[in-house]
Amino acid sequence: MPDAMQNGEILEQGGPSGAEKGTSLWKDAFHRLGKNRLALCGGIFLAFMVALSLATPWLAPYAYDAQDLKLGAASPSAGHWLGTDTLGRDQFTRILYGGRISLMVGFAATAVSLLVGVLYGAIAGYVGGRTDSVLMRIVDILYALPFTIFVVILMVFFGRNMMLLFLAIGAVQWLTMARIVRGQVLSLKQADFIDAAVVLGYSRRRIILRHIIPNVLGPVIVYTTLTIPNVMLLEAFLSFLGLGVQAPMSSWGVLIKEGADVMEEYPWLLLFPSIALSATLFALNFLGDGLRDALDPRAAKD
Amino acid sequence: MTRFIMRRLAEIVPVLFVIVTLVFFMIRLAPGGPFDTEKSVPPEVLENLEAYYHLDQPLYRQYLMYLGRLVHGDLGPSFKNSNFSVNELIGLGFPVSLELGLYALAVALVIGLASGISASLKPNSARDYVPMSLAMAGICIPNFVLGPLLVLVFALWLGWLPSSGWDGPLYKILPALTLGAAYAAYIARLTRGSMLEVLSQDFIRTARAKGLSEARVVLRHALRGGIQPVVSFLGPAAAGLLSGSFVIETIFQIPGLGRLFVQAAFNRDYTMILGTVLFYASLILVFNLAVDVIEAFLDPRIREEHRNHA
Amino acid sequence: MPLLDIDNLRTWFYTRNGVVRAVDGVSLQVEPGETLGIVGESGSGKSVANLSYLGLVPSPPGRIVSGTAMFDGIDLIKAPGPVLRSIRGKRISMIFQDPMTALNPYMTVGKQVMEPLLVHDGLGRAEAADRAVQMLESVGLQDAAGPEARMRAYPHQLSGGMRQRVMIAMALVTHPQLLIADEPTTALDVTVQAQILELIKQMQQRLGTAMILITHNLGVIAGTCDRVLVMYAGRFLESATTRDLFYSPRHPYTRALMDSMPSARKPGEDLYTIPGLPPELTSEIVGCPFAPRCAHAKDVCRRRPALLQEVAPNHATACTRVQAGEL
Ligand SMILES: Nc1ncnc2c1ncn2[C@@H]1O[C@H](COP(=O)(O)OP(=O)(O)OP(=O)(O)O)[C@@H](O)[C@H]1O
Ligand SMILES: [Mg+2]
Repeated sequence: MPDAMQNGEILEQGGPSGAEKGTSLWKDAFHRLGKNRLALCGGIFLAFMVALSLATPWLAPYAYDAQDLKLGAASPSAGHWLGTDTLGRDQFTRILYGGRISLMVGFAATAVSLLVGVLYGAIAGYVGGRTDSVLMRIVDILYALPFTIFVVILMVFFGRNMMLLFLAIGAVQWLTMARIVRGQVLSLKQADFIDAAVVLGYSRRRIILRHIIPNVLGPVIVYTTLTIPNVMLLEAFLSFLGLGVQAPMSSWGVLIKEGADVMEEYPWLLLFPSIALSATLFALNFLGDGLRDALDPRAAKD
Repeated sequence: MTRFIMRRLAEIVPVLFVIVTLVFFMIRLAPGGPFDTEKSVPPEVLENLEAYYHLDQPLYRQYLMYLGRLVHGDLGPSFKNSNFSVNELIGLGFPVSLELGLYALAVALVIGLASGISASLKPNSARDYVPMSLAMAGICIPNFVLGPLLVLVFALWLGWLPSSGWDGPLYKILPALTLGAAYAAYIARLTRGSMLEVLSQDFIRTARAKGLSEARVVLRHALRGGIQPVVSFLGPAAAGLLSGSFVIETIFQIPGLGRLFVQAAFNRDYTMILGTVLFYASLILVFNLAVDVIEAFLDPRIREEHRNHA
Repeated sequence: MPLLDIDNLRTWFYTRNGVVRAVDGVSLQVEPGETLGIVGESGSGKSVANLSYLGLVPSPPGRIVSGTAMFDGIDLIKAPGPVLRSIRGKRISMIFQDPMTALNPYMTVGKQVMEPLLVHDGLGRAEAADRAVQMLESVGLQDAAGPEARMRAYPHQLSGGMRQRVMIAMALVTHPQLLIADEPTTALDVTVQAQILELIKQMQQRLGTAMILITHNLGVIAGTCDRVLVMYAGRFLESATTRDLFYSPRHPYTRALMDSMPSARKPGEDLYTIPGLPPELTSEIVGCPFAPRCAHAKDVCRRRPALLQEVAPNHATACTRVQAGEL
């Protein structure tokens, strides 16, 4: 499912927006973002989650694998705010540690896709000609692959280690990024203000640094923000199928899976990790939407 | 148009070939094999098994043999369900997945298009905010969360619907809703966005200036352009509806192809994995082609482009 | 009795940056069969004024704050949707500036021209198609393969001029009593502009249609209109017959406009431009909106509201100083 949710489609269609205005565009964008309350809340919540997971080893009230078999699954109480799982492990602690993994996978795999996608797209767009058409043909073909299936196969056959998880997910997510970057670079190459810069005799380096990169950056930032939730979903999906991170480590996907298995008796074991995951996804999507509206003045009109 | 379709169909074959090759060597070069788990099997039986499935031959020979059978549409015998061929297993599982996928697609299209169009006609009103907030929820609550929650509420607590199985109409409600929800959400957002864009264009003002009813303006003039992104989305969405059913079929214990595939992957059932991947890939490719044809049907400018490139 | 009688129309846009008083108290009358020109700079409110009484101003943010627009005994401003729709496109038609975007790219030209007939006149498909073919022929949309082939063309297959001909055919196919042409030639090649203008005039005469012609080109006005209104910052500053306006412009703004026409200069001489910019429409303008740019402005111009008043038969101006006989 996650690979179908290509948030990038909307972005892909728009060319560079309000291109030549450089710095004032960014200032405006920040201003607009500041006014978007949902995006702001999303950003703050996200920062809070990141801080939480960085501080988890000091914050967590229990060790993540500390069991209390006598206690078993207990509902939320003063000692265990979010209850305990069937092995008597503190649910709050587990969610904190799970969040660390989920967020790390989200950021790291997005970084992989960012790197590959931007490089690939920029090369295709900048070099153009036959190289471009061959490179993009490859992307077209890859688009047609049933990716979730690929990732499942990868994870089954090559063991469930984290590095591979990053790579597998990153490899799935770079395609749209490549398309967006290529589209931006292509339309920028033809844009009047680049011609003007060429006529004015600016060096290639200056054109790339001062004109192309700032203008490509907007859509890349937006799409990156929207890729993170996709990646986290994919990780959770794999963990749910039993293909993600392995016990005793856990991620939100693992916790949801465990909770779903016992939800009739202990519904809080399903509820809390689900809320943690969904709230983070909300935050990321609101922030991404807000960034898109802020960076694309046309889209923000109403 | 026919020439465009022919050309695209011809392109499908090499793509499938690349996929088969890739997946074949990927799963074969990985450590482990289909008979690993059966520790109790005596060595001579294992040898027999391997001989029977030609696993004792060099890899390239096996690859060529596989291709040879593939040309005749034969996906080979399943390693795990030795009584069935892969073709038979797909024949058993796919109709179920297809049915589930079609219900989910119907849910997604009906809810998504209706709420997206309605929201775009009154932007920034309750008619916009309420469905769009729900759509955001649909995107942020993944199906493996939504599914168990729905089961918990409607099956376990309220007892209105069965919690798992695939025996009658009642059994199909929760899985279809769970699978369709995220797509409905996505389609709603897509439709709203593109309808707003189309409705702000000059030719819509022209249509209004002609004194057409609002219904006619929306249905005859705006909708064609407005649903284009939705049509493009249906290609990947179809793929997602099929593969998304892994989770749904697992949660609701539905005997579909998705569950068969996940089992095959866990069991390293080589032929079954290859067969399902190929099958999925062909479906997706054909679906993408269908999407392109529909797009050309909707937009005369795209049609012309195809004609010029053919 | 005038065909259309607009009184004290105000259309404001309620935007994030404040209230834009795009049209701020305008009145006009159009007699049957006559051609009225509205001339003004970009952003002066010409389009919004005319879209207002047709109910075509996007709302939100736009709102008609005051005014009446009587058309055949019906106040278009207050008319319920169905009544307004039965007039729009049937008795009052509109041609827009940019034929590239004003036609529906997904629909054949023929279908678009037939549509008003199907909706308003209740014609059957065949009959509507016949009428559409005739209309396309009379606006000069020819094709080697015959006008039927043109019916099947999509807008993107036609040139700009051809598309504008389609717009004209679509607007006139129902034989409206009033045609509003909003800068119908601005987006076209100079060579095509004259042809299109000529075509509009011809068709108008043949059908006896009255017309409001919106433009920022005084040259277009000269050859086409009976009467002219000069618009600035959401108001009318001068109203006169075309002849009077050109021979004895009274308002300083009109005179400045005349001076800034290239043809008003000798070859080699620098072009004249009016100093300054039109005022922001977000704050209320108490006095004359042109005062800050006017060479003849005095204190009273900034303080006293400037209203249109007749200073000669059929010639009204909103300049207080002209009204006082000082200019
Ligand atoms: N949808 C809108 N929202 C906010 N302001 C608007 C909107 N439409 C028009 N305006 C404002 O109304 C004013 C008048 O616009 P209008 O389009 O009528 O000018 P115009 O005289 O037709 O100019 P042009 O010659 O460029 O067509 C402008 O200042 C414009 O900014
Ligand atoms: Mg205008």
